[in-house]
Amino acid sequence: TGTLHSLDPLPMQGPELGIQADDIEAPEVEQEPKQEVLENKNVVVQRVHIDGLGRTKEDLLTYEIAEVFRANNLIDVMRKSHEARQKLLRLGIFRKVEVNIDTSRGEDALPNGLDVTFEVTELRRMTGSYNTMVGNNEGSMVLGLRLPNVFGRAEKLTFQFSYGTKETSYGLSFFKPQPGHFERNVSFNMYKVTGQFPWSSLRETDRGVSAELSFPMWKTNQTLKWEGVWRELGCLGQNASFAIRNESGHSLKSSLSHAMVVDTRNSSILPRKGGLLKIHQELAGYTGGDARFLKEDFEIQLNKTLYWDSVLSASLWGGLLLPFGDAPTCIADRFYLGGPTSIRGFSMYSMGPQSDGDYLGGEAYWAGGLHLYTPLPFRPGRGGFGDLFRTHFFLNAGNLCNLHYGEGPQAHLKKLAECIRWSYGLGIVLRLGNIARLELNYCIPMGVQSGDRICDGIQFGAGIRFL
Amino acid sequence: DLEVEPAAEPWPENATLYQPLKEDQILLSDHASSLAVQAYLRMCGLPVQVLCRVNSEFMSPSGKIPFIHVGNQVVSELGPIVQFTKAKGHSLSDGLDDVQRAEMKAYMELVNNMLLTAELYIQWCDDATAAEISRPRYSSPYSWPLSKILAYQKQWEVRRKMNAIGWGGKTLQQVYEDVSQCCQALSQRLGMQPYFFNKQPTELDALVFGHLFTILTTRLTSSELAERVKSYSNLLSFCRRIEQTYFEDKSS
Repeated sequence: TGTLHSLDPLPMQGPELGIQADDIEAPEVEQEPKQEVLENKNVVVQRVHIDGLGRTKEDLLTYEIAEVFRANNLIDVMRKSHEARQKLLRLGIFRKVEVNIDTSRGEDALPNGLDVTFEVTELRRMTGSYNTMVGNNEGSMVLGLRLPNVFGRAEKLTFQFSYGTKETSYGLSFFKPQPGHFERNVSFNMYKVTGQFPWSSLRETDRGVSAELSFPMWKTNQTLKWEGVWRELGCLGQNASFAIRNESGHSLKSSLSHAMVVDTRNSSILPRKGGLLKIHQELAGYTGGDARFLKEDFEIQLNKTLYWDSVLSASLWGGLLLPFGDAPTCIADRFYLGGPTSIRGFSMYSMGPQSDGDYLGGEAYWAGGLHLYTPLPFRPGRGGFGDLFRTHFFLNAGNLCNLHYGEGPQAHLKKLAECIRWSYGLGIVLRLGNIARLELNYCIPMGVQSGDRICDGIQFGAGIRFL
Repeated sequence: DLEVEPAAEPWPENATLYQPLKEDQILLSDHASSLAVQAYLRMCGLPVQVLCRVNSEFMSPSGKIPFIHVGNQVVSELGPIVQFTKAKGHSLSDGLDDVQRAEMKAYMELVNNMLLTAELYIQWCDDATAAEISRPRYSSPYSWPLSKILAYQKQWEVRRKMNAIGWGGKTLQQVYEDVSQCCQALSQRLGMQPYFFNKQPTELDALVFGHLFTILTTRLTSSELAERVKSYSNLLSFCRRIEQTYFEDKSS
């Protein structure tokens, strides 16, 4: 699910060159040297300091502002100060950051010396928030309590309670970035999530703890995570099929996972260019627990702007769940497919292996989408409201099935290639900021296998991750 | 809702009964309940296959063991199962008149309120038994720390229920006394007859057999419970009789 960012970037206050009334000692003849400072003359940044610190430790911030010292002309100083300001803001501990560039004063002031001051306003010790979140075809209200700077080095302690259409959850998380390298961070989480899945007549309660380490490497972002989850499954309603009843009970999953993300898109909601590559693997069972499996999944997306402001987008998803030992896979670990955010034209997660109308998920899947986004015909409301909408032509295809791991990869590929479900259609997409997107599509599902539930005709979807 | 369901469907060949794992997991009270249902179905001549599943307690629609899966239906506990088979035309208590039927119900209540509750008490409220037998067995299919969490959660639940029905304050000796009294009542009612209602077994016989046979054949931390039952010889021969009639010839 996505999160709302509560940082609003304020416009920079503008460089104050500090030419104040009582500073002008020289007669008007001396205006020329001052004008030279305004142009691209070499300057030296003598002092950079931060005003307004309360509990934030200074050593954390010296990394963020260090670059400013290296600037040697005015344009550079302005640019580096702006970058430093962005870096300070992304720590998430300041409500406001203003930059003041002034000529140096004092005894050791050089004629071309500059003083840069960052005036910061720290966030309150505890902040509360109320947001609504949009997940995939579900909405929820989120209440949050956050301590944004617990020990003074941008550590965050967050408690969140979320009440939604399909899920209720609460969790506590502690986040610590490495001073000077904010993108390298570690976080610890504890959570309880209760979900109801009517397509499977299944109720699931997860209670878990996790520790996560994130760091950038070349152009990628890597995440290593250990997670321990106590899963409790039960039937939703009296009419659940026996296959679901069979899955009821408790299990413990202790897994190590690794994810790699390369994201060069300009936006994650309706990108116009760039690509996304996400690879994720999870190994469960070697650090304790009952569940034992290896799970792989990947996501690829490529976008290209064509003529007349239209965008061509192609995406491919896939995944494989490989159980170890004799025990069958658990429904909580399997993949689901279908719905307005994956293969359109099919009902939510209502594809593939099923029993008495309850969808059991599958151990392997692939799905692909090809989209053409264009501005609305005749471009109504251009330059304003109309720009949030796009028309959308799409082609989706995919398959979800179980594999018998005794057979070889040839047999598996053949199985995934049989009985392909696909759909095509067109619709309208509405972009909600950089957070979510709404779609209203007319879909024509094809390749429907017996047991699949379709939604041909108009289908509405809301979410953050679409095929 | 059994009145609405089509009773016409005959008893299928593939009817199954679910209980926890016999060797390592199942506890005295669950085994007694499961054996009672198995005895009842054998007395009715209805074939059923016993399947052992780690999560049978959670699969059951009422959370109690055992439950049967017959065709599309899932029914748990002896009372509803008796109703269910009755709707399909099989019954052991048709030959009883109203007075006898009321008596049968009363004795079944006695067994449930006394014997079953005593079994639960001994399993979960007696610290020695809980630590040595109940918690290890209950948690055996799960890995740490889930095993500990589930075992203590179950113990807390049962103790809470015991407090609610007023058994929380009883001592182990008092519980053994209650068991003796219950056995005495049963022994007196049985007398020298083969079954409680003379010649034909009823669901009461199945229930009593399930509990007494399990008590006699289950190893606990102390043999006091079994000794209390053994002191009534007609109950002993009753158990042996049912075992020989309904269970031994089927085991081959």
